[in-house]
Amino acid sequence: MTTAGEPSGDDDTAWGAEAPASVVRPFLLTAGRIAGGDSLVPPMPIETQVVSTDMGLAALDALVFDQHRDIIAVCRQPQSLAEIAAKLRMHLNVIRVLADDLRADGQLALYAPQADSARDATVLRRVIDGLRAIPDSRGAIRER
Amino acid sequence: MVSELSPTPGARSVSADTQGVRPPLPVKMVIAGGFGVGKTTTVGAISEIEPLTTEASITSVAAGVDDLSHTPQKVTTTVAMDFGCVTLDPTLKLYLFGTPGQERFGFMWDDLIEGALGGLVIVDTRRLDDCYAAVDYFEHRQIPFAVAINAFDGKVEHDLNDVRWALDVGEHVPLTVFDARSRGSVRDALLVVLEHALAAVEK
Repeated sequence: MTTAGEPSGDDDTAWGAEAPASVVRPFLLTAGRIAGGDSLVPPMPIETQVVSTDMGLAALDALVFDQHRDIIAVCRQPQSLAEIAAKLRMHLNVIRVLADDLRADGQLALYAPQADSARDATVLRRVIDGLRAIPDSRGAIRER
Repeated sequence: MVSELSPTPGARSVSADTQGVRPPLPVKMVIAGGFGVGKTTTVGAISEIEPLTTEASITSVAAGVDDLSHTPQKVTTTVAMDFGCVTLDPTLKLYLFGTPGQERFGFMWDDLIEGALGGLVIVDTRRLDDCYAAVDYFEHRQIPFAVAINAFDGKVEHDLNDVRWALDVGEHVPLTVFDARSRGSVRDALLVVLEHALAAVEK
């Protein structure tokens, strides 16, 4: 398993402008535990929604690790696992493990996506209707 | 345990310990295609946020040159993945994930795209080869997808039937032309995928 801290940068965007990576190696925080990849546990979907609980927010100042504090702070508003990872510049699989730890401690609430959305005509119709309402350009009303 | 969101608004009462904040039902679509074909431009054209980048792991199946046993080697690689989102209504949020590169190898995005409503494979007619891997992947996974030619102002020189023939995609796969920079054009390309997905479910 390659866990390089440096993204390979082989997609459309350049990484040159990014801030330097944390000095704490990502998987140190998870005590070597990983999610996804070769893990036997099915990984939580990346769009899983995460919200801080009152207990989590109350414990904010008492938390030892910056990373735990950052996750709870950013989840005052519901966020997906992917958004948390991007905003905190941490590997998605690290966030998966840490978010699950904080859930077990009652500091985060996790809401998995509906398992069968892709086969659910009601969901598909809602997404279609929602997209159709999006105007051609920002600030404009779409002419029908 | 992890709660599951119901598709029906208001069907699940909100537990008091999250300040009454009820997250929207998240759904996702996948934007695929070769390197530099306009995946991030597509996401950015419709996303309500500037596209974010996260590090994720994908499994590449690389047939190693030094591998005497000739068995494909599975290698987990950390890649950068761009994504954005659109809040369709307070109870429904669409995420758009651009698949990371690795076009020349077999790859497994399963961990990232499990449960996706559908995929949009973006094609540059000057480099058709680059999208074969994505087309194969969606066909194998039986994920509904459409092929979208990224063209300036949504116009292409080629006859669409020629492109379809060159890509070797069947008549059942919708083929469309769009402009990745245009919000309305991206919206319409996504609608092609979703209407295709809906037709498959209702069949």
